[in-house]
Amino acid sequence: MEKQTAEQLTCYHCGDTCREEHLHFDDKDFCCHGCKAVYGLLQESGLCDYYELTEQPGVKEVGDTTTIRAELFDLPEVREKLVEYSEDGITRVKLHVPQMHCSSCIWLLENLQRVEPAIIRSRVRFTSKELSITFREERFSLRQLVELLRRIGYAPLLSGSGKAESQRGPGVPRMLYIKLGVAGFAFGNIMLFSFPEYLGADTSDPQLMKGFQFLNFLFSLPVLFFSSTGFFTSAWAGLRNRTVNIDFPIALGIIALFSRSVWDVLTGYGPGYFDSLGGLIFFLLLGRWYQAYTYQAMSFDRSLNDFLPLVVLRKSGEQEEPVSVGDLKQGDHIVVRDQELIPVDGVLRQGTGNIDNSFITGEPLPVRRNVGDTIRAGGRQRGAAIELEVLRPFQQSHLKRLWEEHSGTNGTQRPAMPKLIDGVAKRFTVAVILISVAAGLYWAGRDMDMVWPVVTAVLIVACPCALALSMPFAYGHAMRLLGKAGLYLRDSEVVERLSRIDQVVFDKTGTLTAREAYELRFTGRPLTADEARRVHALARNSTHPLSAVLAEQLRPRDAASDALPVIEVHETPGQGIEGTVQGLSLRIGSAAFASAAEQPREAGEAHVHIAIAGIHRGHFVMRKRARHGMADTVEGMRALASVGLLTGDATVDPEVQRAFRESEVRTACTPPDKAAHVRELQEAGRRVLMVGDGLNDAGALQQSDVGISVSETSAALTPASDAILDAQYLHRLPGAMLLTRRAHRIVIASLAISLTYNITGVSFAVAGKLTPLIAAILMPLSSVTVVGFVTIAIGIAARQVGLHSRN
Amino acid sequence: MSIIFFLIGASTIVAVIFLAAFVWAMRNGQYDDEHSPAVRILGDGHKPAQATGKAPNTKP
Repeated sequence: MEKQTAEQLTCYHCGDTCREEHLHFDDKDFCCHGCKAVYGLLQESGLCDYYELTEQPGVKEVGDTTTIRAELFDLPEVREKLVEYSEDGITRVKLHVPQMHCSSCIWLLENLQRVEPAIIRSRVRFTSKELSITFREERFSLRQLVELLRRIGYAPLLSGSGKAESQRGPGVPRMLYIKLGVAGFAFGNIMLFSFPEYLGADTSDPQLMKGFQFLNFLFSLPVLFFSSTGFFTSAWAGLRNRTVNIDFPIALGIIALFSRSVWDVLTGYGPGYFDSLGGLIFFLLLGRWYQAYTYQAMSFDRSLNDFLPLVVLRKSGEQEEPVSVGDLKQGDHIVVRDQELIPVDGVLRQGTGNIDNSFITGEPLPVRRNVGDTIRAGGRQRGAAIELEVLRPFQQSHLKRLWEEHSGTNGTQRPAMPKLIDGVAKRFTVAVILISVAAGLYWAGRDMDMVWPVVTAVLIVACPCALALSMPFAYGHAMRLLGKAGLYLRDSEVVERLSRIDQVVFDKTGTLTAREAYELRFTGRPLTADEARRVHALARNSTHPLSAVLAEQLRPRDAASDALPVIEVHETPGQGIEGTVQGLSLRIGSAAFASAAEQPREAGEAHVHIAIAGIHRGHFVMRKRARHGMADTVEGMRALASVGLLTGDATVDPEVQRAFRESEVRTACTPPDKAAHVRELQEAGRRVLMVGDGLNDAGALQQSDVGISVSETSAALTPASDAILDAQYLHRLPGAMLLTRRAHRIVIASLAISLTYNITGVSFAVAGKLTPLIAAILMPLSSVTVVGFVTIAIGIAARQVGLHSRN
Repeated sequence: MSIIFFLIGASTIVAVIFLAAFVWAMRNGQYDDEHSPAVRILGDGHKPAQATGKAPNTKP
C-alpha cells in the first residue's frame, strides 16, 4: 500500500517520479535537492506563478555532459562572442538556452530581474530558444549570470549562442516571405483585372480593356524584377557550371510569358498572360517556402570544439585557474572532474582514473587507470576528480589527430549522387526546345504570323512548375513525418539518397547495444529481498562502474526507504569491496575476492561475485543490453538491403551475433578500417548507409552515401552526419527506409502527372489555340493537383509503413 | 466609366499601403518569433508577487 503511493508521487518542480530520494518541503514533493533548491529560490523571489502557468514546468538538473563550465565565461574570447552590446557597465548578451519548453519557462526567464536586481531586462525568443539579457556588468559578471541560469535549470549552451550564430540561423529567410507577399499581392490584383476577360466581357469599351491590360503590366513588373530573381540567378549559376537545372526551363518560361504578354498588349493581339505569370511565380515561391520551412533547425556539422571542454582548470601551486585548452603546455597540471572530458593526452598524477571511452570507441565499460598511467584524450572521467600532467599540447593530441584524419574536416566531399530532378530537367529542357523549334518551323511554312505566338505559347505552357513543386513537397513532407518519428534528416535531399541505399552497415557498440543499459542475471542461490538491500547498500559505496550498475539495479523500489548503513567499508581497487551491513559481512567483487572459482564467460559479459558472511552465494552476469527491437531492426533492414556489421570489439555478443548470423561481420575494426570498408563497398558499386554513433564511426559516416548517427539524448554529441536517429526509435529505421522508397515512387508518379498536363498544354500551344484563359486555368490546376497528390500519397505511405503519428 | 479608374487607383493605393506595412513588419522581425509574444500575454496577469519574506533576498 505504502509502496504504491510512494511511486505515484511526482516532483512539484520537474514532474519526475520521486524514486531515489523524496523530499517534502512547503507541502510539496520534490524528487531531488536540485529541484527543491530551485523552488526555494523562486519562492524567495516571489516567482511562484511559474508553477501556475504550466504544471511541473521545471527542468531537472542532471549531470549533463554537454554543459559547460561557468569559468569559461570569464575568458575574453568567449565573452566577445556572446556580448552584443556593452557600454557604461551595461551589457547585453544573447544566450542559447535549449531547455526552454513551455509558457512558464518564458515567464520565468523574462522575470529574471526579480531574482537578481542587476538584471535590467531579459527577453525570450522562443522559436530559436534564445535569451537576450541586459544587465549591469559591474555588479554582476557574465559568469555569475550563467551560474544563476544554471541554478534554475536553464544552463546556456555555448554553441548556438551569440550574435554570429543567430544571424545565419535556420528557418525561412525573411526575404522569401517578402517575395512571396509581393507575388501574392500582384497575382491577386492581376486576376482581378483579368476577370472581365475571363467572363468574356464585350470589347465595346476598348479604353477600359486597354486600361486593365496596362494595370496588369504594372503589377507584373515587381513580380518579374523582384519576386522571380531567385530563379534567374539559380538558372544562370547552373549554366556557368555547364549544367541545366530545373530553374533553367522555369526562367525560360518566365521570360517567354513576360515578353509574349508585353508584345500582345502592345500590338493589340490580346490581353497577355500576366495572370499566369503571377500565379506561376506565386506557386513556385510557395514550393521554395515549403523547402525552407521543412529544413530542420538542427546542427549537423560539428567541429571538435563542440565536444571539448573549451576551458580546463590548470593547477599552479595550490591555485586552480581556468585556461583555454589551446593554451595548455607540456608539463602543465590540470584537474579533471567527474563527468568531464579529458581534452589532452596526459599522465595520471593524482587520484584514480575511471575512464569511459565511449565517445571514442563506443565501449561503455569504463577502464581503471592508476597513478603513472598514460591517459589518452577523449575519455571521460567517472568518479572523483583526478590530476593529470599534460603530455602534449592539444594541437598534437591523439584526439585532434583522430578527428582530423577521419572526420572529413580536411574538406573531403561525399560522393555526389545524381539527383533525379536534374536528370529530368535536362531532358525536359531539350524536349521543350525541340518542340518549340519544330512547331515554329511547321507554322513558318503556313502562316508566318503564327510563328511567334506558337513558339512562345509552347515555352509558356511547358514551364515545369508542377515538376519543380513535386519534389520539394514530396520529400519535404516525408522528411517532416520522419522527424516526427524520431529520424531527423539534414535536408530533404537525404530522403532521395536514402531511397537508393542497397547496403546497410551497422556499428555495434552504442548503436545496436545501448550505451548505459545492462542486463543483469544472477546465478547461484537467489538472494532474498533483505540480502539484496544489503548488497545494494554496500555496492553504492564503491566507485567501480560495475558496482554502480549493480547498485542502480538492486535499488529498492520503495522510494521512502533509505539505504542501510554500512560500516567497516574497505575497497581493494581492481578486486572488490567489503563491508558490514547490519552485522553481516559482505564481499562483492571478482571471483578470487569472493573466494569462488572463476566461471567461463561469454563475450561482452562481466561477472560480479557475491559472498555473504564468508559464503559464496553466486554471481551476477552483466551484459550490455541490445537496444529495444534490435533484432527486428536488422531483420527489417535485411528485407530492404544487404546488411553488415562493423565493430571495434574483438568479439560480438551472442544476441547481436544471432541477428547477423547470415551477414558479414567484421570485428576489431579501427576507425580507419571502418571508413576503408565502406569505401570498398562503394567501389563494388554499392550505395552504403552507415549507422553509427561515436567518434570512431565519424570517418565511416562521412565516407558513406548516407550516414545516420544514433543518439540517446537530443542534446548529445553526435559526429557529423546526414541524419540523427533518436536511439529509442531504432526499430523504426526499416519503416523510415521503406517510406523513402515509397516517396521516390510517389515523386515519379507525380512527375508523370505533371508531364501529362504539360503534354496537354503543349498540344494546345502547337495548334495555336492556347488562349490566356486556358493557360490561366491549366497552370495553377497542374500545380495544385501535383502538390495535393504528393502530400496525400506520402501521408498514406507513412501510415502504411507504420510511421504516422506516435505509435 | 472613367470613374472606375479613379476607384481602382484609390483601392490600389490602399492595397499598396498594406503591402508596405507587411514588408515593414517582416523586415522589422515581427514574424521571427510567433510563439513567445502569444505566451507573454498570459504572463501579464501574473505580475511577480512581492517576495514572501520567508527567506529574504540576501544575494549580492
